[in-house]
Amino acid sequence: MSRRKPHLLAYALLVVTAIVFAFPLMWMVLSSLKPSTQLVEDPYAFLPREWRWSNYVEAVQAMPYVRYLRNTLLLAGGSVLGTVLSCSLVAYGFARVRWRGRNMLFGILMATMLLPWHVTMIPRFLLLRELGLYNSLSALIVPTFLGDAFFIFLLRQFFLTIPEELSEAGRLDGLGEWGIFSRIIMPLSFPALTTVALFQFIASWNDFSGPLLYLSDPDKFPLAYGLEQFVSSYADQTHLLLAAATLFTLPIVVIFFFTQRTFLQGIATTGLKG
Amino acid sequence: MSANFRRNLTGFAFVSPWLIGLGLLFVYPFAASLYWSFCRYDLLSPPEFIGTEHYQRLASEIATGEGFGKAIWNTGYFALLSVPLSIAIGVGLATMLSWNVRGQAVYRTLFFLPSVVPIVASSVLWIWLLDPRDGILNRFLQSVSLPSQLWFKGATEAMTPPDFLDFGSKDALVLMSLWGVGNFMVIYLAAMGDIPTQLYEAAELDGAGRVRKFWHVTVPTLSPVIFFNLVMGMIQSVQAFTQVYIVSEGTGEPASWSLMLSLHLFLSAFQDLDMGYASAMSWLLFVFLLVSTALLFRTSRHWVHYQGAGR
Repeated sequence: MSRRKPHLLAYALLVVTAIVFAFPLMWMVLSSLKPSTQLVEDPYAFLPREWRWSNYVEAVQAMPYVRYLRNTLLLAGGSVLGTVLSCSLVAYGFARVRWRGRNMLFGILMATMLLPWHVTMIPRFLLLRELGLYNSLSALIVPTFLGDAFFIFLLRQFFLTIPEELSEAGRLDGLGEWGIFSRIIMPLSFPALTTVALFQFIASWNDFSGPLLYLSDPDKFPLAYGLEQFVSSYADQTHLLLAAATLFTLPIVVIFFFTQRTFLQGIATTGLKG
Repeated sequence: MSANFRRNLTGFAFVSPWLIGLGLLFVYPFAASLYWSFCRYDLLSPPEFIGTEHYQRLASEIATGEGFGKAIWNTGYFALLSVPLSIAIGVGLATMLSWNVRGQAVYRTLFFLPSVVPIVASSVLWIWLLDPRDGILNRFLQSVSLPSQLWFKGATEAMTPPDFLDFGSKDALVLMSLWGVGNFMVIYLAAMGDIPTQLYEAAELDGAGRVRKFWHVTVPTLSPVIFFNLVMGMIQSVQAFTQVYIVSEGTGEPASWSLMLSLHLFLSAFQDLDMGYASAMSWLLFVFLLVSTALLFRTSRHWVHYQGAGR
């Protein structure tokens, strides 16, 4: 707030708060490396008696981890592709082509963001089942090819900042709207497209209710759902549960560290997601 | 073809993926669930029109506090605790990060990190941290001579006087949601960065101390974000599902104490196959959210200050 030199008290408060927020994760990682006997006999010891990296091997073997991971990557990859393709097209239509009804439809788009998913959940489920998508990852991927209001909004805002002169120059060179979109706007929008891809990847990685609704065959489960199944069957094997949870969290944390800038800016400028 | 017509066609072509989605994933489901809310529909036989029966059942459940009524109570309890606390903690953390200290980026990362943890993983983590017997938090409470709590296994509510210090499943869910407050914190932090320093300087000239500067400069300029947090927090609480499902293994037990609206709706639809009842519930929820969002917008005129709005 003020530019004066802060109190010692301020530092103390910051450190304590940081410990409170960091402790659960740190405790999870440390405990995931403890021998299972230690977790039973002396669960509150801070450090592992010995560092049991083999807990991770065991956890991966206890569930079809590789299959779950493959399904997750398929789901996330397909969804990122669908989202980036559809949302950039739609956002271009809303941002850079002037046509009748554009503003009205954009208003409707914004309104759909406020709709609770409950209202559409049941008919949507039955519709996708009718289309033969039940028990298939496609039930979760296909809808991403039809756009997402939040990401469309985000991309539209970005497209609006690109000077109209660039489009004009393209037109003079004989480009149509498609050419302007694919050759001028898309290459310039790399940061915004990365943000969308990043958020969609994380959303798919984390998605639990989608697989819960649409998937019944364990062979098709992604990690998020597989992990929950694992929890119910391995409730007494804390070391494996924690190792599995850590392993599931790690990629997201790594992604966050590598893309911190994009990540925080994306949240700060658009509200939220994730 | 006239140029105008061509342009309209081009625009439509670009937005067509979303238009198809709007029809299939919004307009049709919207209309269908409204119709089914007046039907008996168990998926096995076609929907059968029965009038307002489901709505009457929902109304009577509100009156008796069972089923839907219970879910409303649980959700309301969760929202009324978690939303104001998340605002207070979000603003608090952002304020701390705006102090001119060394290592600010480290603190920011540590405060924010919990909010990127996937909700399935954080549910697993908190079930274990809050285990009534072996959990580390109860251990900590004991070490400072406070009573252990039942947390996710508890069917008490810290509302009524004798239970005031007993924390049950919903309190545990609140705690878990506050741990992930980082998203809002980042928005507050960004908004604080936009506050012109002249405002603080002017306040200082008027003799304002730290506290008054906070209440009279920081809070009013943050009010649009607080408002955003309030609306989003309300919508998110009503829709909270994954963590509620996981910590109660999809049951809302013990004693339906964490049976929140979205879980009740899910179970009514996909376990009891009572699509009509679930649809009616979803419409009531929708109307409730619509009305309360509108009301919040209305009150916002009195307490939300937009910078440069020229008023």
